Amino acid sequence: MAVSHLLDEQEDDTPNGGYHMMVTIEDGSRPQTTPTGRPHPSPVTSSGDQVDDSKSTRLARGFSKALRKNQDYIRIPVSRSIDSLLPAEWWKTGIAFIWAAFNLVLTTVMITVVHERVPDKSISPPLPDKFFDYVPRFEWAFSVTEVNGMILVALWFIQWLFLKHRAIVGRRFFFLQGMLYLYRMVTMYITTLPVPSMHMHCAPKLYGDSQGKIKRVLQLVSGGGLSITGSHLMCGDFLYSGHTVMLTLTFLFIQEYSPRSLLWRCYHLICWFLSAMGVIFILIAHEHYSLDVVVAYFITSRLFYWYHTMANNRTLRGSTHNYLNRIWWNRVFNFLEKNVKTTVPCSFSWPLLPPSAVFKNPCKSYSIVQSAQD
Amino acid sequence: MSRACSEKDFVFHSSVCLCQTLHYISTSSRADMNKAASWSEEEVSLWLTDQGLQEYSEPLRNYDGPALLSLTTDDFKRPPLSKVTSDGGHLLLEKIETLKIEHHIDVHKNGHANGHMVLNHNGNAGSAGKTHQNGMVNGFHKELVQIHIPEPASPQFPPEWGKTAVAFVYALCCFVLTTVIISVVHERVPPKEASPPLPDKFFDFFDRVEWAFTICEINGMILMVLWIIQLSLLKHKSIVGRRFFFIVGTLYLYRCITMYITTLPVPGMHFKCSPKLYGDWESQMRRVMKLIAGGGLTITGSHNMCGDYLYSGHTVMLTLTYLFTKEYSPRRFWWYHWGCWALCAVGLFCILLAHDHYTIDVVVAYFITTRLFWWYHTMANQQVLKETSQTNFFTHVWWYRFFRYLENNVPAVVPRSYQKPFSWRLLHWSHVKYTRIDSD
Repeated sequence: MAVSHLLDEQEDDTPNGGYHMMVTIEDGSRPQTTPTGRPHPSPVTSSGDQVDDSKSTRLARGFSKALRKNQDYIRIPVSRSIDSLLPAEWWKTGIAFIWAAFNLVLTTVMITVVHERVPDKSISPPLPDKFFDYVPRFEWAFSVTEVNGMILVALWFIQWLFLKHRAIVGRRFFFLQGMLYLYRMVTMYITTLPVPSMHMHCAPKLYGDSQGKIKRVLQLVSGGGLSITGSHLMCGDFLYSGHTVMLTLTFLFIQEYSPRSLLWRCYHLICWFLSAMGVIFILIAHEHYSLDVVVAYFITSRLFYWYHTMANNRTLRGSTHNYLNRIWWNRVFNFLEKNVKTTVPCSFSWPLLPPSAVFKNPCKSYSIVQSAQD
Repeated sequence: MSRACSEKDFVFHSSVCLCQTLHYISTSSRADMNKAASWSEEEVSLWLTDQGLQEYSEPLRNYDGPALLSLTTDDFKRPPLSKVTSDGGHLLLEKIETLKIEHHIDVHKNGHANGHMVLNHNGNAGSAGKTHQNGMVNGFHKELVQIHIPEPASPQFPPEWGKTAVAFVYALCCFVLTTVIISVVHERVPPKEASPPLPDKFFDFFDRVEWAFTICEINGMILMVLWIIQLSLLKHKSIVGRRFFFIVGTLYLYRCITMYITTLPVPGMHFKCSPKLYGDWESQMRRVMKLIAGGGLTITGSHNMCGDYLYSGHTVMLTLTYLFTKEYSPRRFWWYHWGCWALCAVGLFCILLAHDHYTIDVVVAYFITTRLFWWYHTMANQQVLKETSQTNFFTHVWWYRFFRYLENNVPAVVPRSYQKPFSWRLLHWSHVKYTRIDSD
């Protein structure tokens, strides 16, 4: 019976909030029948009492008569919630993570290879660099850079943990990092720059000692490539600077995936400060040429902007006038971002609770809206 | 007489008939009815234009109302009417018949005119007859309401040569700056003996070939000439030229920065660098002039300063001219695209073969050129990317405002249309000649 169907359907909201009106078209020629045995929240009771039965019959009849006036029910689809537009797809994040890890390992192998080819300081003195002409070297500067880098990475990690769509964002971070390290491998390998400063102590060359090389690779990976951990002994990885890449990339991600309110803007400013200081201190420590830092910043920022513009504008993806499609990693991009249908909103949630108990931290504060009748 | 009826106001092209119909409705008021016989030459001309028969305006310019009504088919067999008519005057004669019938109706003021209408309007659309039945009631005055339907706007591409000039000046400044920086950097290049060439993978595999750089420069010149010819043939050359100047200028500006901050040693022992001048400004200026005059090419003998290695200007020019020629030429000229691509690729390979640049110089130059070109053109082709928004990161580049200034009035993708660079009409001085158009 149409009536009971309608009432049943309304109780039956799906948890994600999407529901639709019922579809049946009632046939007016059918004789009225009382609703039989279906529980519904109307005042009709389900007792079999004669008096009550007639009362329920009358009510139901009235109800069905009223409904029969509007016999056609039109389906109005209510838009799906945002969750279906941003599926998690952790397996894609896994693939991106493997890609990043693979590139990191390959980079360390490449550093080991290039190290053998770095010309000796006596044969090839440090190249003239404008920054080094003006600013003398400070020894402690590189530690500051690395501390800044570690702070930024930690901050980004905490922020990432609390993001609601951490699968998607994580995927993007790993992909970009892997790509940047891939480019870095290419630039390191094809031309080898000499050491930027006479203070640098490069580990002795191994000349074909494979075991020793593998040990060095492991040491570098475990130390994260930082001098503080004592793993950064090898030379030759100058163009372009991996430290700049990490500093810039973490800052860009922190800024992008956090709210825009005033308090958060102060936080962005602090992170920007950390990042900028880190980059400048690399140069003050004479650990990289200025060129390394500039090229690293350029490539990182352009890649970040490119990727995110492509990801956020769906219209660009199929367009023939979109030159972004000519980039060589376009297919991988489509694979990763195919089901992400909208801009990732900045919403946070506790990392360990199930998705249904979401703690919504509004990114923009709501204010009371004055309605026109007041 | 109604002037409200023009083809613009209606969507259908068969509006001539509809137009005609409403024209008749409007002229159905008695005041207009008998005017056909009393039209002046000007009114005849206006009527002809209204009917879409403006080709007759010129030969019939001396015809007033009665003369118009007295035209016969024989008139259309003699010049000047025979020259302009496409159907022997058939259409015009029919319309004149209609005019006569109106005149006739006015005289007779009877319902039997409808019969005339139907018979005489066989050639026209049937709707004409129907509407006449409706509209030709005696004394029924109908107002004509003009419904303005806007024409579908075709995108306009204003040339704005001023902006192209600004972009040209910008490119010129960047070129001059680059040459100045080259001569400054030249002073700082460490001598070959002190700083030997850096280890380079390509140089390990391929030995130096002397004549290779000449090939690269010849390729570059060919591509440049092809691009200039293509640019002069483009219809929207001001817009495309503006883009080219801006991108070239920006690439050379970036090159200034990278050359200046770190100086790479010479890539090969074969290099003969000019002696250093140590502060002799006049000679440095003269060197700058010589470099500009020679276009920075070794063939012209102007390229004997060292230090401008990262990144390679030759790569920039080869890649950029290839990208532009491919972008602004028809899609079906695949052989032309492949030819340019071959020129560009061979040129790049020859730069390295000649050991004139490190591999890193060429790779970085290629990367920056292609990314900048694609970035600029994606922004220029999508209106949505030209505006700042939360999701649009393209506007975060430093040259965004300059870009907005240049591309503000370009509403859509620039179509690839071509035209002769200068008008042949300057050579013609006679009047325009009509030719007879055969229509079936």
